[in-house]
Amino acid sequence: MIYKHLSIKTIATLFSMWFAVTLSAQVSPDAGKELFKNYCAACHSKDMRSAATGPALGGAQTKWADDVALYAWIRNSQALVKTGHPRAVEIWNQYKPTIMTAFPKLTDDEIGSILVYVNGVYDGTYPPKKDVAAVGTGAKVEEKSQLPMYLIIVGVLAILALLLTKIISNLNQIASAKEGYQVEAKTITQILTSKGVVTFLIFAVIILGAYTTVNKATELGRQEGYAPDQPIKFSHATHAGLHKIDCQYCHDSARRSKHSSIPGTNTCMNCHSAIKNGSMYGTAEITKIYASIGYDPSTQKYIENYNVKSEDEIKAIYTKWIGDEYKRVKEKADIDAEGEKVVADQWVNIKKSLTNDQKKQIQGPIEWVRIHNLPDHVYFNHAQHVTVGKLACQTCHGKVEEMDLLKQMSPLSMGWCINCHRQTEVKFKDNAYYANYTRYHEELAAGKRDKVTVADIGGLECQKCHY
Amino acid sequence: MKKQIDNIWIGQKDLVKDADFMKTADMEFAEEQVSYADMTSNLSGNRRDFLKFLGFGLGAATVAAGCDIPVKRAIPYVVKPDQIVPGIANYYASTFVNGGDYCPVLVKTREGRPIKIEGNDLSPVTGGGTSARAQASVLSLYDTNRFTGPKMKEGAGWKDTTWADLDKTISGSLQSAKNIRIVTNTVMSPTAKKAMSEFAAKYPNTKIVSYDPVSCSALLDANEKNFGVRAVPSYRFDKAEVIVSFNADFLGSWISPVEYASGYAKGRKIADIANARMSRHIQVENHMSLTGSNADNRVLVKPSEQGVAIAHLYNEVTGSSVSATGLNDRAKKVLSKVAQELKAAQGKSLVVSASNNVNEQLMVNAINNVLGNYGNTVDMSTPSYQRQGNDADLKVLVDEIKSGSIDVVMLFGANPVYDSGYGKQLAESLSKVKTKISFAQVNDESTDLCDIVAPNHHFLESWGDVEAKKGHYTLIQPTISPLFNTRQTELSLLIWASSVGIDVTKEQPYYEYLKESWKSGPFNTQSEYASFQSFWDHVVHDGIYNASNTSAPSFTSVAIGGEITKPASSELEISYFETVHMANGQYAGNPWLMEMADPITRTVWGNYLAVPVNFDGIKTMVGFKDLVDGDLVELTIGDKKVTLPVIQQFGQMPGTVSLALGYGRTLAGNTGSNVGVNVNDCLTMGPSGPSYYNTAVTVSDKTGEEDEFSCVQYHHTIGVRGIDKETGEEINADEAALVFFDYFTGVKGFQGALTDRSVIYTSNVAELKNSVEHLQERRKHAQHLNDQQIYRGFDHLYSLGHHWGMHVDLNACIGCGACTVACMSENNVPVVGKHEVSIHHEMTWLRIDRYYYGDVENPNTIYQPMMCQHCDNAPCENVCPVNATNHSSEGLNQMAYNRCIGTRYCANNCPYKVRRFNWLDYTKADIWPANQPRLQEESVPFMADNLTRMVLNPDVTVRSRGVIEKCSFCVQRIQEGKLTAKTEGRVLRDSDVRTACQTSCPTGAITFGDMNDKKGDLTMKLESPLNYIALEEINVRSSVTYTMKVNNRDKSFDA
Repeated sequence: MIYKHLSIKTIATLFSMWFAVTLSAQVSPDAGKELFKNYCAACHSKDMRSAATGPALGGAQTKWADDVALYAWIRNSQALVKTGHPRAVEIWNQYKPTIMTAFPKLTDDEIGSILVYVNGVYDGTYPPKKDVAAVGTGAKVEEKSQLPMYLIIVGVLAILALLLTKIISNLNQIASAKEGYQVEAKTITQILTSKGVVTFLIFAVIILGAYTTVNKATELGRQEGYAPDQPIKFSHATHAGLHKIDCQYCHDSARRSKHSSIPGTNTCMNCHSAIKNGSMYGTAEITKIYASIGYDPSTQKYIENYNVKSEDEIKAIYTKWIGDEYKRVKEKADIDAEGEKVVADQWVNIKKSLTNDQKKQIQGPIEWVRIHNLPDHVYFNHAQHVTVGKLACQTCHGKVEEMDLLKQMSPLSMGWCINCHRQTEVKFKDNAYYANYTRYHEELAAGKRDKVTVADIGGLECQKCHY
Repeated sequence: MKKQIDNIWIGQKDLVKDADFMKTADMEFAEEQVSYADMTSNLSGNRRDFLKFLGFGLGAATVAAGCDIPVKRAIPYVVKPDQIVPGIANYYASTFVNGGDYCPVLVKTREGRPIKIEGNDLSPVTGGGTSARAQASVLSLYDTNRFTGPKMKEGAGWKDTTWADLDKTISGSLQSAKNIRIVTNTVMSPTAKKAMSEFAAKYPNTKIVSYDPVSCSALLDANEKNFGVRAVPSYRFDKAEVIVSFNADFLGSWISPVEYASGYAKGRKIADIANARMSRHIQVENHMSLTGSNADNRVLVKPSEQGVAIAHLYNEVTGSSVSATGLNDRAKKVLSKVAQELKAAQGKSLVVSASNNVNEQLMVNAINNVLGNYGNTVDMSTPSYQRQGNDADLKVLVDEIKSGSIDVVMLFGANPVYDSGYGKQLAESLSKVKTKISFAQVNDESTDLCDIVAPNHHFLESWGDVEAKKGHYTLIQPTISPLFNTRQTELSLLIWASSVGIDVTKEQPYYEYLKESWKSGPFNTQSEYASFQSFWDHVVHDGIYNASNTSAPSFTSVAIGGEITKPASSELEISYFETVHMANGQYAGNPWLMEMADPITRTVWGNYLAVPVNFDGIKTMVGFKDLVDGDLVELTIGDKKVTLPVIQQFGQMPGTVSLALGYGRTLAGNTGSNVGVNVNDCLTMGPSGPSYYNTAVTVSDKTGEEDEFSCVQYHHTIGVRGIDKETGEEINADEAALVFFDYFTGVKGFQGALTDRSVIYTSNVAELKNSVEHLQERRKHAQHLNDQQIYRGFDHLYSLGHHWGMHVDLNACIGCGACTVACMSENNVPVVGKHEVSIHHEMTWLRIDRYYYGDVENPNTIYQPMMCQHCDNAPCENVCPVNATNHSSEGLNQMAYNRCIGTRYCANNCPYKVRRFNWLDYTKADIWPANQPRLQEESVPFMADNLTRMVLNPDVTVRSRGVIEKCSFCVQRIQEGKLTAKTEGRVLRDSDVRTACQTSCPTGAITFGDMNDKKGDLTMKLESPLNYIALEEINVRSSVTYTMKVNNRDKSFDA
C-alpha cells in the first residue's frame, strides 16, 4: 500500500512540474522585445545605453518614483507634463520640442513586458546566457529544456520498476518459503549477468544505435540554425525590421524566378549613395559596398576604370574617407593615434571581407556565404511560392526582420516541405489557371469540400520537385 | 530472288531468327555480353583491392560525416544587367552557320551561358525546324580542344603569342607577298564578303578560293550555264507531287535539308482519309540513304550508272536520244515508267540530282524545264547561296601551291588537307607557301601545317549576318562574351587591311562595321522603318529580315551531249556518302554527334562498310561474302588498303558497297581523332570536282571481328517475334503467350511479353480505307482489356487539371535525329563512348527505331521515335521495391533519381525498353579514358571539365552512377509552362509547354500537349483514325500515340 501511495504521489508531482514548465507568464521579456521593436525602437536605441531621438531607456524605471506615473507617461507623455509631474517636466525640458508618440492602447502587461525587456538588456540578463550558447539551434533549445523532465520521468519509472521487481521477488521468496522451498537469493551480479538482462541490453543497444544512425544520417547536410558570419555585417533587423524595406525590393527575382537571388551591389547603392554611415558600425561596413562597386563617397562619384586600379590606389581612396569621417564624428581637426588605428583596422577588415582564396581583387562582387542550400536534385521555385502561392517570406525564413545575423530557421527537409504542402490551401478561386479542376470547383460550390490543398492537386508527387 | 514480307523487321538477325539474338531480345541489358574478361581489361582490381576500397570507403564516409558542410558562396552581380534574372532563361535570335550549313535559331541562355538551341519559327526558310548539327553546335562552344588564343608554330608545337605581335608579323609578310589566297568553304555572309573584298582591295594580289567539303560544283556550274546565276534554286518539295532524286540526300545532308524536309513532310502527311493524297518519291541510288529510306520506290543503280540513268530519264522525258547504254535493265524499265508519271505531273514534279558532273546536271535542269517545273517547284527567283564552292578554283590553287608561286595562304574555316580530295598533295606541298595562317577554332589537319593561328570566335560569340537565300537575311548575334582570347576572322582581315570602317578602340569594332554594312545594304531595301536604329533593333530581335523578291532569270537551253559518267564493268563499286551527323568530318569533334546513331545503319563511333544482303530464295539472308555485322574486312581502293568493320545493309545494291565520309580524322580533338577510316584521299577528281565513288575496289574475306561493334539496332528491341521453346515455332501472339498478372491489388491484367504485336501499322495510300478498318478492328480487340487497371483511383485524377500526352506522326518523321540530340542537350543525357555503346549501355532517352517492311531486298523503311510512353498502367512502377518510379496525377511516369537504388527491375519490365541505367559515373568520372584506349592521352574525362559542364541544363538533375533514368516528357518544361500560366492567372496554352524533341523537329512530326484541353493541338491530332498505340494489347495504357505509316509505293515498279 505504501508503494501505491508513493506512485500516485510521484505522478502528481510530475504533473505539477509539467504545468510549471508549460505555464507562460503574462509579463515576459520576449514579448517586451517584440513590443519594443514595434513601438520604441524607432526613437530609442536598442542597446538601452545611448541616447537617440529619445533618451536611453536603461535604468529609466529607477528614476521614476512610481510605476503608475511611468505607465501614464508611456501612454501619453504630454498629458502627464500638463499635470506638472516633476519627472515628466524634467524630461520634457530636456527633449522639447520632440514629442514622444502616445501609445494609449498599451496594456499594463505590455508596458510591464517592455520594461522587463529594457531592464534585462540594460543589466545584461537578457537575452539569457544559455540561449547565447545555443545560438543557431532554435528548435533544439526547446528540446533541451524538456530533456531534464524526460530524464526525471525515466529515472522515476526506473526506480519504480526496480522497486516492483524487488517486491515481486521478495513476495515470491516469501511464498516459496511458505511452501517450504529453500530459495537462494540471487546476488546483484548474478542478476546483471543473467541471460535475460544481457539479451535485453544487447537488444537495446542495437535499437538505440540503429535509431541514432538513421536519424543522424537523415540529418546529414541539414543546416537548420546555420548562421555563418558574412563578409558584411548586414542586418536584416535594421533594413527589413526597422526601416521596413520590402523583402522583394532587394530580393526582386523571388517573384519571377526560381532564385530569390542576392541583390547586386548596385541595389545597395540605391540607398547607400546617400546613407554613408551605419547606425552600428559607422563607416566600417558600408565602405565595403563602395569598395566593391568603386564609389568614392568623398567625391560622391563612381571611380573611373575602377577595375584596373591597384590595391594601393583603392586603399588611399577609402582610408581617406574613413579618416575624414572619423574626424567629422569626433569633431577633430587632425587624426589622432586612435583614429589611425580605427582607419587601419577598418581597412584590414574591408580587404579581408572582399577577398578570398579565389578572389584576389578587392573590386568585384561581395561573396556572401550562402545559407539556404538545397541538394542538387531538388528543384525549388520562389516565384511559385511567392507570386502564385502568395506566401509570406517569413513562412519559411522565419522572422528575418528581427535577425541581425541571418539564420536558417527551417530544416529545409523533405518532410518539412511535404507537411506544408499537405496543409496549405491553394489560392484556387482567384487564379484562372485552376479553372480546369472543374470537379474541385463543383465540390467547393456544393460545400462538399472546404478547401483544396497543394497535396490535392499533386503537390506531393515526386516530379514536382525532383527532375 | 524476291520475297515480300508484310510485317516489319529490324534487321537481318531478326529475319533469320538468329539464335543468339532471339535469346537476348527479351533482355533489357544483354548482360552476358559483359564478360569478366571485358571487365578486367578496363578495370584492374581484385578481392584485396575490393577490401581496401571498402575499408577506405567506410573510413572516408565516417570522416566526411563528422566534417562540417563546406561553405558555399552566393555571388551576386556588382551591377546587375536589367535583362538578366538569375534562374530565368533568355532567348536570343541568331543563326547557326558552318560553311554551307544554315539554320536560323533561338539560343537559350541561362545566367549568360548558352545551353540550348531552338529553331526560329519566324524563318520562312526552315519554319522553325532544326537539324542535329544545329542542336549539337552549342556543345562545340565549350570544346576543351579550342585554341585559347593566337599562336605561332614553334617546332612541332604551338607557342602562345599576342594579337599585337601576330598582327605585326602578318602585316610584314602581307606587304611583301606576291600572291595571297584565302581558302574558305561556302561563305553566306554579305558583310564577311565585304570584309574579304576590302582585304583584297588592299592587297590586290589576293584571290578567294571557295570549295565545299562535299562538292556541289557541277550543280552550280550547270545553273550558271542555264540561268547565268551560279546558285542553287529554291526547291519547293511541298508543291511537288512526283519527286525523283538521283542520289541526292535532300532530307539528310544535301544543301538545305531542314528546309527541304519541312516542305517534303507537307506532301506526306495524311489529312483526309477518304481522299488521301500523298506525293510519290522515287530515289535512284545504290546505297540506302536517309532520303532513300523515306522514298516510296527506290531504283537501284550502281554509282557509275548514275549518268546513264539520268540520260535515260532525260531521253524518256524530252524525247531526245543521248547515249544511255550500260544502264541495268531493271532501272531502265522502271525509269521509263517514272518518266510517264513525271510527264503526267507537269509543273508539279521535281527532279534533283547530287551528281557532280555538269553534263548530268544540265540534263536534270532540262528535264525540269521540259516538265514546266521552273517557276513552280523549282524557284530561281530566290536562289539559295548555301553552296558556293568552285572546285575548278581549288584545283588551280593546288597547282599554284605545288609550283611554289603562293606566298600567303589563309584558311578561313576550311580544312582542305582532310576534306578536299587534294589532301595528300596539299599536305606535301603546303610547306612551299611562306606564310600559312589558319583561323580555325580547333586544331585540325590543315591548321597543323600552318605557321600562325588567329583563332576565330565560335558563332555563339560572334556578330555576323547570313544571306542563305537571295533576300532572306538572318543575323548572328553573340550570346556570351568570348570564352578565350579569340578574335573574329572578319575583324582580323579588316585590321590587316587597315580598313577605315574599323575603329579598334571601340569595344566591338566588327559590330559597328556590320551595322554600317546593313545601313548601306538591307536597310535601303525596305520602307517599313524610317530610322536605321528601329530597323536594326527589329532585326536583332527577330533575327530575320526578308527583302522583297526579285524576278527569276529565264532558262537558256544549253546543248546536251558532253561527257557523262561511264558505267564501269568492274565487279564491285564503292560509293561514299555524307551522313546526317558527321558531314565530311566537320562535326567529328562533337561528342553528341559522334554518339548519335546513324539513322540507317544505326551505328555510332565509326564508319561501317555497308555491304548488300540478299535473300537466298529458301529461308536465309546471305550477306555479301558471307560477312555479318561487325566482321572486319580489308578494303582495297586503288592502292589504298584499310581494315574496317562491315554492316549488312538492306536495300544496298548487289555489286556495290558504301562507306560514310567524315571519319578517320587524325586531328579532331579528343572525340573525333582516329575514329573510323578516311576515304577522302580516294576520291577521283574530275573537272568539276570529286566524284563520290570508285570502281576499282575489292573487299577481302573476313579478317577478324571488331572488338567494340557499336550498332544500336539490336539493342532495346521491342515486339520482335517470339519463339515457342517447345515447338521451336514462331508464336503469333495471343494472350496465352502473355504473362498473367495478378498483383496484390486483386486486379487482373496482362502485361509484358515480347510478341509479334502492334508496334507498327503500315498501308499503301491506295489501300488506306481497308487498312484503317483493319487497324480499327485490331485496336478494338486490343482494347477489350482496357477496363482492367493496376492502379485504380487515378482516372478521376486525370480528368482534373492536366493529362499529358504525345502524338508522333510517322508519316512526317524522316528519321533525321534532330530530336535525339535536342533531347541529350535538354536533359543532360551523358555521352558514354564506344565501348559502353558496344555493350548496350547507351543512355539516349529518345531513340529512333528503324524498321523495314515489304520487299526484303529493296524494302521500305519506317522510323519510330521511341521514348518513355508514360503508361497509365505502367508495368515499371509496381516492380520498384523503393517506389522510385511512380505515377503523377497528370499522367506522368515519374522517376525520382535520388530514391532509385538501381535494381533495374523497372527496365526489365518495360515493354518499350526505354529505361537506361547509369552503369558508370558517365557524367564526370573516368569513363572515357577507360573505354577509349586510343584516347588515353586526354587528361580530364569528358564532362569532368568545368568548361564542358557549362552546357548542362541547370533545371535538370545530373544523374549519378547506379540509377535508372528515362524520358520525363521534359517535365522541367511542363513545370515552367504551368508556372507561366499561373503567374499570368490564365488557363495553360499549348505554346506554354513544348518538349525539346517537338521544337527541334523540322517536319512537325511530334505534338505534345494536354489531353484534357479539348481545343488543344494534341486533341486535334488524336482524332485521326490513323492513330494507334504501340503494344496497345498489353494494356499498359500508353500516353504516346503513333500514326499508321502510309506509303505511296507504285507496286507496278516492282514487277
